[in-house]
Amino acid sequence: MTELLSDLSLPAGGAAWLDAARAAALASFRAQGLPTLKTEGWRFTPIDAVSKTDFEAARRPRIRGGFGSRALCPITFHRVVVQNGRVLPGGEGSSYSGLPAGVRVQSLAEALRDDPDSLKTAFSRGFDQDGLPFASLAAALFQDGLVIKVARHVRLDKPLGVLFDSGDNASGRPQMAHVRLLIMLEEGASAEIVEESVGSGSARFWTNLLTQVALGEGASLKHYRLQRENEHGVQTSASFIEAGPRARYESHAFSFGGELVRSDLRVRLAGAGAECALNGLALVRDREVVDHHSRVEHASLGGTTRQLYKAVLDEKARYVFDGLVDVRPGAQKTDAWVYNKNLLVSEDADVHSNPEFRIRADDVSCKHGGTIGQMSLESLFYLQSRGVGAADARRMLVYAFGSEMIERVGLEPLRVALAAALHARMPEAIEEAA
Amino acid sequence: MLKIKDLHATAGGKAILKGLSLEVKPGEVHAIMGPNGSGKSTLSYVLAGRGGYEITGGSVEYQGKDLLSLSPEERAREGVFLAFQYPVEIPGVSNKYFLKAAYNAQRKHRGEPEMDAGAFLKFVKEKAKLVEMDPAFLNRSVNEGFSGGEKKRNEILQLAVLEPKLSILDETDSGLDIDALKIVANGINKMRGPKRAFVVVTHYQRLLDYIVPDFVHVLSGGRIVKSGGKMLAQQLEKEGYGWIETEGAPA
Repeated sequence: MTELLSDLSLPAGGAAWLDAARAAALASFRAQGLPTLKTEGWRFTPIDAVSKTDFEAARRPRIRGGFGSRALCPITFHRVVVQNGRVLPGGEGSSYSGLPAGVRVQSLAEALRDDPDSLKTAFSRGFDQDGLPFASLAAALFQDGLVIKVARHVRLDKPLGVLFDSGDNASGRPQMAHVRLLIMLEEGASAEIVEESVGSGSARFWTNLLTQVALGEGASLKHYRLQRENEHGVQTSASFIEAGPRARYESHAFSFGGELVRSDLRVRLAGAGAECALNGLALVRDREVVDHHSRVEHASLGGTTRQLYKAVLDEKARYVFDGLVDVRPGAQKTDAWVYNKNLLVSEDADVHSNPEFRIRADDVSCKHGGTIGQMSLESLFYLQSRGVGAADARRMLVYAFGSEMIERVGLEPLRVALAAALHARMPEAIEEAA
Repeated sequence: MLKIKDLHATAGGKAILKGLSLEVKPGEVHAIMGPNGSGKSTLSYVLAGRGGYEITGGSVEYQGKDLLSLSPEERAREGVFLAFQYPVEIPGVSNKYFLKAAYNAQRKHRGEPEMDAGAFLKFVKEKAKLVEMDPAFLNRSVNEGFSGGEKKRNEILQLAVLEPKLSILDETDSGLDIDALKIVANGINKMRGPKRAFVVVTHYQRLLDYIVPDFVHVLSGGRIVKSGGKMLAQQLEKEGYGWIETEGAPA
C-alpha cells in the first residue's frame, strides 16, 4: 500500500470535470495519508490488512456465477450484481429490466460513458472527506458503481438487491475494488435497497465503497447492508446521506464476517422534520475487527435520530462503535437516541464504545447509553432450571441478543434468511461447549 | 422422594444452611416458613442447582439419586422444578419457544419423541387456561414487561407444562394481590396428586390458606427448628417468629 500511495494512477478518458474531481480526491487522500492508530477516528481500528497488503486492481474473477446460492437476498427482488468491482449486465446475473417507470438503475461506468453531464451536478456536490481517506481514494479510483434514481412520488415496487461478489482472479493475488454508488430519491419517492457482500475467493479482497444518498422532501429509503466476507475479506465504506424535509433514512447493517470492516455513515438531516434510524448488528470472532462509525448532523428543526448498534464478540475479536450526534444551532426539537450494546462471550475480545452528543441548541431531547456485558448467569440458570442444556441455553441467549435487530427488518424473506445466518454463526466458544 | 440430611451450605464464605434435614414423600405438601435471612431462598436454589453456593456438608437424595451431583438441567429433566421468587426476564426468547425447548428436553431425556410445534401449541394453550393466562403471552418474550402477577402465573404455567415430580415454590405469593394469589394457588392445587410433592417456601401464612400443607417447618438460622401440622402456620402468623428464634436457639 505504501507503494500504492506513490504509484497511484487515475483512470483516464473521462469528462474534464470528472478528471479534475478525481485529481482533487487523490490530492485529498495524499494529504490525509493512510490512517494509523494515532489518527483521530481510527485509534482503535488497526488497518494492517489494508496497509500491509500489496493489492492489485480487481479483475475478472476466475469463477463466475454461482452467487445466487451464496446470497441471502431472495431472487425475487430486482438484482444487480457487482462482481470484483464491475457491474454485470442484465442476463449475466443482474436482473433489473422490470423496473417501474420513473426508476433508473444504471452502471456508473456506462452512465459516465453515455451521458456524463447528467451526473455532473451529483458529482460536484462534494462531501466531507475529513477523516475518511478511503472515501477520497474511492472518489479518485472508482471504475464502476451504480446510479439509482427514483423520480418524484414513485415507489420502487420491490426491493433492489445489490450483490457485491468477490472472487480470486487468474493471478490469485490480493485485489481491491473501489466502487461508487449514487442514490437519488426525489420528493415523495421511496425505495428499499439491500446491499449484500459475499466473498468466495481465498486471496484477500478489499472492497472500498463510497455511497452518496440524496433524499428529497418526504422521500424514504430503507437501506439494508449485509456483509459476509470471507476471513480475508476487507470492506471499508463511507456513506453520505443528505435528507430533505420530512425525509426518512433507515439503515440496517449486519456484519457477519470479514477480517476488517469499517463503516462510516454521515447523515445530514438538512430539512425540518427529517428522520434517520440507524441499526447495526455485528457478530465478530477470531481476530476480526468491525468498526461502525456514524455522525448525524441535525441541521434543522425537529429532526429525529434513532440509533442502536449491537455486537456479539468471540475469541480475540474487536468491535468499535463511535456514534456522534451533532445538534447544530437552531436545530430545536431535536429528538435523538444513540445506544450501543455489546455481548462478550470471550474474555479476550474487546469493545471500544463511544456514543456522543455535541449539542448547540437548547430545546432538545437527547439520550445515549452503552452496555458491555457478559452472558447473564441468572438467565442461563433460569433456562437450565427448566431442563434446557447449558450449550442450548447459551445459544438461545446469543440468538435473543441479536434477534432484536433482525426483528426490525421489515422484509420478511430477508428476516428469515438473517435469522438462519445468525443461527449459523454462533460463537465458537458456545459450539465447543456443546 | 426427597431426603435432605444435615445439609450445610455457604455463599461467599458465609455459612447459610447449618445442618438442615427434611424428608418429603410423594403426595405430600411441605411448607417451609421462616424469617428473612433464615436460608429459605438458599435452600430453594441449592436444590435447583444454582451456582454460587458451596455445599460443605450433608447430602440430598432425590428418588435414590445424589441430587447435588446433577447439573441444573439434569435435575429439571428428572422432575425437579423451582418456581422462582423473582422470575428472570429474557428479552428475545419467546415464551412459546422457551416452553417447547424445555418440554422437549425433558421428553428427549425420557427417550420420548419430541413434540412438534403445532401439537405443542395446542397442548400449551390448554395449560394456559389452568392459570387463566391469555394465550397472547405465549408469543411475548419470557417474562419481559410482565407484571409481578403475570410472572408468577407464567411460573405456574411452566410447572403445568413440565409436570414435575417435586416442585419447590419460592415465595410464590410475594407481590401477588388476592385475586392473582387465588389463581396461582388454584393452578397449583390442580397439579396436586399422589405422585407429586411440593415444598412451599413462604414468609407469610397467607398462601397456606389456599395451598393447604400437610406439614409446616420453621427454618431459622439455617436449620429446621420446629415442625408441625398446618396449625403451626397459623400460630406463626399470630405470634411472629420471635418465640421460635428464642426457643430454637442452641443452648
